[in-house]
Amino acid sequence: MTTGTTARVASAVPRTATVRKFTRRQRQGRWLDWYAAGFGVLLACIYLGNFLVQPLRRLSSGARDLPVGQGETGLALVVAAAAGLLLLAQSLGPLTLSPADASWLLMSPLRRRGLLGRSLGVLHGVGAFAGALLGILALAMAGPYVRAFTPARLGEWLLLAAVTGGALAVAAVDALVFLQPYPRRARPPARVLLRVIALAAVVVAVAGEHWTGLARTVARGLAPVSLAAVQAVTAVAVVVAVAAAVAAWARLRSFPADVLWADSAHAGRVRLAAAFLNVQLLGWIAEDNYWRGRVLASRPWPARKPWQVRPPGTPMFPAFLLAWSDWRRLGRRPGTLLALAASAVAPALVAGALTGSARGVASAAVLLFGGIAAASQGCAALRRDTNDATLRRMIGAVPRPSLTARTALPALLAAGWLALALGLLASAGVLHASGASGVPAPLLWATLGLAAGPGLAASALRLARTAPIDATALGGLDTGAGTMPSWLISRIFSIVLGLVGIFPLVAGVISAFGGLHGARPGSLSHGLSGGTIIVQAVLSAALLSLYVLTASPPGSAPGE
Amino acid sequence: MVSVSELVVEVHGLRVSYGSVVVLEDVSLSAAAGEIVAVMGVNGAGKSTLLSCLAGLRRPGGGTIRVLGGPPRDTADYWRRVVLVADLPTWYPGLTVREHIELVRMTNAPADGWCLDPAELIDAFALAGRADAIPLTLSSGQRQRLSLACALARPSDLLLLDEPEQSLDAGFRKQLASLLRDSYAPSGGTVVMATHDLEFAEVAGARRILIEDGCATEEPA
Repeated sequence: MTTGTTARVASAVPRTATVRKFTRRQRQGRWLDWYAAGFGVLLACIYLGNFLVQPLRRLSSGARDLPVGQGETGLALVVAAAAGLLLLAQSLGPLTLSPADASWLLMSPLRRRGLLGRSLGVLHGVGAFAGALLGILALAMAGPYVRAFTPARLGEWLLLAAVTGGALAVAAVDALVFLQPYPRRARPPARVLLRVIALAAVVVAVAGEHWTGLARTVARGLAPVSLAAVQAVTAVAVVVAVAAAVAAWARLRSFPADVLWADSAHAGRVRLAAAFLNVQLLGWIAEDNYWRGRVLASRPWPARKPWQVRPPGTPMFPAFLLAWSDWRRLGRRPGTLLALAASAVAPALVAGALTGSARGVASAAVLLFGGIAAASQGCAALRRDTNDATLRRMIGAVPRPSLTARTALPALLAAGWLALALGLLASAGVLHASGASGVPAPLLWATLGLAAGPGLAASALRLARTAPIDATALGGLDTGAGTMPSWLISRIFSIVLGLVGIFPLVAGVISAFGGLHGARPGSLSHGLSGGTIIVQAVLSAALLSLYVLTASPPGSAPGE
Repeated sequence: MVSVSELVVEVHGLRVSYGSVVVLEDVSLSAAAGEIVAVMGVNGAGKSTLLSCLAGLRRPGGGTIRVLGGPPRDTADYWRRVVLVADLPTWYPGLTVREHIELVRMTNAPADGWCLDPAELIDAFALAGRADAIPLTLSSGQRQRLSLACALARPSDLLLLDEPEQSLDAGFRKQLASLLRDSYAPSGGTVVMATHDLEFAEVAGARRILIEDGCATEEPA
């Protein structure tokens, strides 16, 4: 082996820009990057343009006769959106480098400020842009209630709103940058605070629809706001933003490498998953983040009962162990069950929010997708096994019995969720049932939901066992208007499977709405009976059994 | 470079815990300039934690650490003199093996001290056949070689290596140990490495420190 040399190279101390130029120069296919970025910006401009047309039209028309609750609801939703965006920013760092930059440039003689300056600049740019948009939206919501607001001075008001929103957003992201070096002490309280703000804003928005007292108070508060007052607020916001930006810039000099390293790696994985719309990978990342750093008390696996004694080598027991991991995971995440229970109110909300003949279809769609989402909460371990079957092989579980053992939890979750959602719909008076049987309508509809659970479990199991999206894979179905990729076909098929599995339920809900509005009187809304429930139970059980019997062995052929 | 008698690493009563789990209880060790120290111990003993403390990436709960005459600082000047090779890095997708080594040279310019130039490194680390390959296409052992080659492509006073023998074949382990013993250390460089390979440590001529139950004890040569 060589002995090396003592180098005495008299060159200048490297600048980050020079190093970055080197790494960029070598990169292949740059025109494609520019094309993709340009196309993305163009699409974003088109969508944002469409998004802003309505609020701007509302402002320029000078309309004053808006319902009293709209201003308060709109402002609350803007606050919720701002809190949501800040939560997203915090979950990604917010200050990060590319994973490769973090590996090679972070722990090097390059000045930390030079290295991070561009990231901070991008963060400020994105923050200011999003803040400006939210500021304009806030003006669109509040403007009609402000007496001093006139369309003649629309440009001035828009500028002030955009600058104020942008400045406040920059100050907020800088605050997050300051908290970033303290991942254990400062980040969790900030996360809780932002979640509380978002939740409170949503509650206020919903409350404003029904409780006019709050809406009137907000409208009264907005009325006397003058242009001079807004100018003063803008000036203060700009001063705060500049001070925060300068302080953040100063902080870059000693920004800790370990935090940046971990955050950059995490953000890199999330960006990659998001770029390929890889929901499965995003789910894994979220799951990993939840469990990382938590200390759990180990508990014994369920013991084999005397009546379960089987000859040696019988595969059901390892399969049961494997399936038990999802039960245990869910037992350790009670928040998920609470969120599922809370989300069961969604179909009732949709039914209340929409009008006309579309109500039944929309509510049925929410029931379908909500039920699949609920069942998917019991498929986390199966999703992992599809990607890597090592654990299953290590436990010695045989594929098909493992899949059979794993059907119970998704079926139970879907059944529970559907029963709750349908019970709420019936309790709210949206769904009716035949009174002849003497059974209360909520109970009858809830029983139908329980019977439909296994049908949606088949759909959720199939989705969990579908291979991750490979956006670069060729092939698919030629639709005439373009090729539909195979990963999309596979997912659509899973949803259709779920729809087939709960067809009596969907038909019943749509029919019930039709009956309610007189479109199709005398249909299932007045005829939901034990017979319908039995048909649904048989169909969903048959579909789940058929799926388990015909599905390729888990782990051996991802992607079905 | 510091003189051979000067202590490059001094650790006294180091204590580190993860929540309620105490990993290092009372660790004291030192390493002089030109010395190679092998930190050994079972999995989870705290070897990697010790290295991250020396690198200034983890703040200890107690005790004192002095590296190159002061506390670890996580600054540009510090990283000019200290190299940490821990987990495998993320590679630049569009850069070749040779370009990664050149990148390290560039970020550490001006080079002032012992190091190997890129051509020498590629030969010494048996990467000649893959010099124009993208690191993602290399085997795990070749990627580990590239990581180590990058560490020696720049001058430094202290090398912190976390299980450098990982994925390396037995023959190359000996070559690496010889390189550290015969070239890096005699130029005044200090190596602190966490390793499970006793033979590797012996060939490198390393002083062995055993971490057990949170405490460090010197093993007889």
